[in-house]
Amino acid sequence: MTNIEKKSKFSKNIILVIVFIILFILLPRFISGYYTRILTAIFMYAAIAQGFNLMSGYMGYLPFGNIMFFGIGAYVTAIFMGRGFPFITAVFLAALAAVITSIILGFPVLRLRGHYFAIATIGMNGAIMSVVQNTTEITGGAMGTTLPIIPQAPEIVYNYFYLAMFALMVLTTLVIYLVINSKFGYAIRSIKANEDAANSMGINTTYTKIITWAISAFFTSLAGALYGYWMSFIAPEEVFDVMISVNTIVMMLIGGAGTILGPIVGAFILEIVSEFAWSGFMEYHLAVLGIATIIIVFFVPQGVLGTLGNMIKNRKSTFKKKVGMSNG
Amino acid sequence: MGLQFFINAILLGGLYALMGLGFSLQWGISGIINLSYGAMVVLGSYLSLVLFNTLGLDPFISLIFSGFILFFLGALVYRFSLQPLLKGGIVFTLIITFAIRLVIENIILLIWSADYRTIRVSYAGSSLQLFNTFIPLTKFLTFIIAGILVYFTYLFMMNTKIGKGIQAVALDKEGALAVGVDDQKMYMINFAVGTALAGITGSLWANIYSFSPHIIGVIVGKVFIIAILGGLGNIWGAAAGGILLGFAETSGATFIGSQWQEAIGLVIMVAVLLFRPHGLIGKKFFG
Amino acid sequence: MVCLMDKKIILDIQSISKHFGALKAVDQVSFQAEKGEIVGLIGPNGAGKTTLTNIVTGDLKKTGGKVFFKGIDISNLLPFQVARLGLTRTYQIVKPLEGMTVEENVLVGSLYGRANRKNNLYQGRKKAREIMKLVGLDKKRDSLVSDITLPDLKRIEFARVLAMEPEVVFLDEVMAGLNPSEVEEASELIKKIRKEKNLTIIYIEHIMKAVMGISDRIIVLHHGKKICEGSPKEVCENPAVIEAYLGKRFAKEVINNQ
Repeated sequence: MTNIEKKSKFSKNIILVIVFIILFILLPRFISGYYTRILTAIFMYAAIAQGFNLMSGYMGYLPFGNIMFFGIGAYVTAIFMGRGFPFITAVFLAALAAVITSIILGFPVLRLRGHYFAIATIGMNGAIMSVVQNTTEITGGAMGTTLPIIPQAPEIVYNYFYLAMFALMVLTTLVIYLVINSKFGYAIRSIKANEDAANSMGINTTYTKIITWAISAFFTSLAGALYGYWMSFIAPEEVFDVMISVNTIVMMLIGGAGTILGPIVGAFILEIVSEFAWSGFMEYHLAVLGIATIIIVFFVPQGVLGTLGNMIKNRKSTFKKKVGMSNG
Repeated sequence: MGLQFFINAILLGGLYALMGLGFSLQWGISGIINLSYGAMVVLGSYLSLVLFNTLGLDPFISLIFSGFILFFLGALVYRFSLQPLLKGGIVFTLIITFAIRLVIENIILLIWSADYRTIRVSYAGSSLQLFNTFIPLTKFLTFIIAGILVYFTYLFMMNTKIGKGIQAVALDKEGALAVGVDDQKMYMINFAVGTALAGITGSLWANIYSFSPHIIGVIVGKVFIIAILGGLGNIWGAAAGGILLGFAETSGATFIGSQWQEAIGLVIMVAVLLFRPHGLIGKKFFG
Repeated sequence: MVCLMDKKIILDIQSISKHFGALKAVDQVSFQAEKGEIVGLIGPNGAGKTTLTNIVTGDLKKTGGKVFFKGIDISNLLPFQVARLGLTRTYQIVKPLEGMTVEENVLVGSLYGRANRKNNLYQGRKKAREIMKLVGLDKKRDSLVSDITLPDLKRIEFARVLAMEPEVVFLDEVMAGLNPSEVEEASELIKKIRKEKNLTIIYIEHIMKAVMGISDRIIVLHHGKKICEGSPKEVCENPAVIEAYLGKRFAKEVINNQ
């Protein structure tokens, strides 16, 4: 592919992305509140799934307990808004808390690899949840706590959150795209490829891993902050629920781990399947979700985008062979 | 404190030892973090409930059925859903086992609802008395049976042909393959032994505590801690890890407050992960 | 005709030891390397060559001893710090960056290696392409490393190391698995690059023949100990080497024939 071809393809993609963004901004005008809420949830899950994608899809570290940053984001926002701080300030403090937590925990935990890292983060999530449950004076304890309600008509409020979550998803995706395609992105991907080799090639792997986890924590905490304000009520068992981790990891897998749009595609597919399971098979929805997950993982192990990418690549290479081109 | 505290801790720890052992074997030897382990334990409890309600079978006897049924369930799960995806790595096994948990949980909810159930055998109220301490008979028998089963598992791994095969693939896979051991078969049997232990634990649990689908997550949390404390795939390690968790939880409940019980276990687990990633016992495999 | 002013010791290894329990994998080994020199490090399998390399590059913690590089004590540095100072290595068992293309593999070296830490993506890519041309990988630059043959994987290892612009390189059995004509080719390449870049190479090999033609000086390890050091000719004639190393080879052949 020549540079000009690459450039024209790139600008085509940008136009496509902008069209989609405008479409989604206008969409709530044409659909019911029910669908607006589902889409808001999809955007939220997509943003969380991007956090997993950066860590796991690109760097090869599965932070199973990443949902702790969602909980921290929601709770710090609730605590400060409860003391009269405006939302923006509370969100800023929430993100700061999540980033600081990720750095402090990252130093010891990111030395662990594979299974051990995944499990240690689950343990930390549980421990943080326990602290939130038991410091009742500050957090409201196991029964949960409330956040201020925006004094406007519900449709308008839902529309706010729709746009805010959409913006978060786009921002998260954009930032991760830029990070992955930067020089730092090569350090991240080298760690997944072979951490020892990366280290011997002059990459400070500890530093890279900690910064990457902090980025992941930052966006996950923003999702938590928005979620808390959106629901106006949060409880520890809900925002520190490992089930959210599992769901978003499945979304990443469905869409394609290590592809930039994979988590978004996966969030759409899984959320629609699970809505369908809820409304169609109320009593069996867990089983339907479980079986759907198994089937998806079995038949598209590289995710929808990964599998599509391979198909396109194969077709291109057979095309090249037919035409007799040898140079890529 | 005193003797009663010590006895409570060790009785709880005995059940935990058996519970953690299956999970530890699956993780340490078959390389699978089985997130459906809790659901399999609870399934064992419900199997005993059914046998108790219909045939009046004592859970100390029906644990044999739980063990058998879950052995075959485990073998099927491994062969048809885990083995084909092993190449995909940790993400896939975690997701698949979690999906299996959802399916089992949903089946339990459909048949038995989310209510807490209990099994009360005729001798449930009786207890032994020893130096001013009470030892509930059911808990005492549970402890004895758990101890025997841990020892049997050890004998199985050390003295049978299959057990030796499992050891061989765990210690030196290439070497085992070279002498003609079918590694996937060994992993499958090991995984099935693990789920059988889960089912038996469930039957024992049903005899002394109440159960419902709500405890699935709690059990998974506990087996993680036990396996990591003891070192993955290490039989005596898992036993020690179980006893240790029994002590940690009992002392947490006695001295700090029972609401911190779970956090204490988790903090110990993370500390062990960071400072002694091969477990407190140190040696890998079979101790 | 040795000009003393040119003799600049760049790497100074002082009685390095590594014990695994009772086993002394490396036992008080010392040697020095000068700027632009090729030092052959030979010995039978298990003699401690790779362990020694791992200690110098920081991949493994030593039991005792010190390593100085350009006068700096690097004994306690981490691999990436050692690499940034300009000392790197290839791996005996190749460690390509899976899931990346050939060019990306070399690019990581040119982005994060010694002189290149300030390289941006554009400069890094330019450098990577230069190196790929030098080692003959330019035609395969967009292939994934998973689609590459072993000789090319070894080329990638080498290209990656060169892209980092090091001053000292440990080449750990880069010839293993190559056929005689490929070995010839690789030897020429190493000589050429040494000349161009005034590179110091510690050349690890257990095939004596491959080392002889290329090394200025040879060090022989056996059971973790340095048993001999000298010119290729001196080493060949050394009775200790013949007994410990060449003799063992014959013994091995006898076993194989049985």
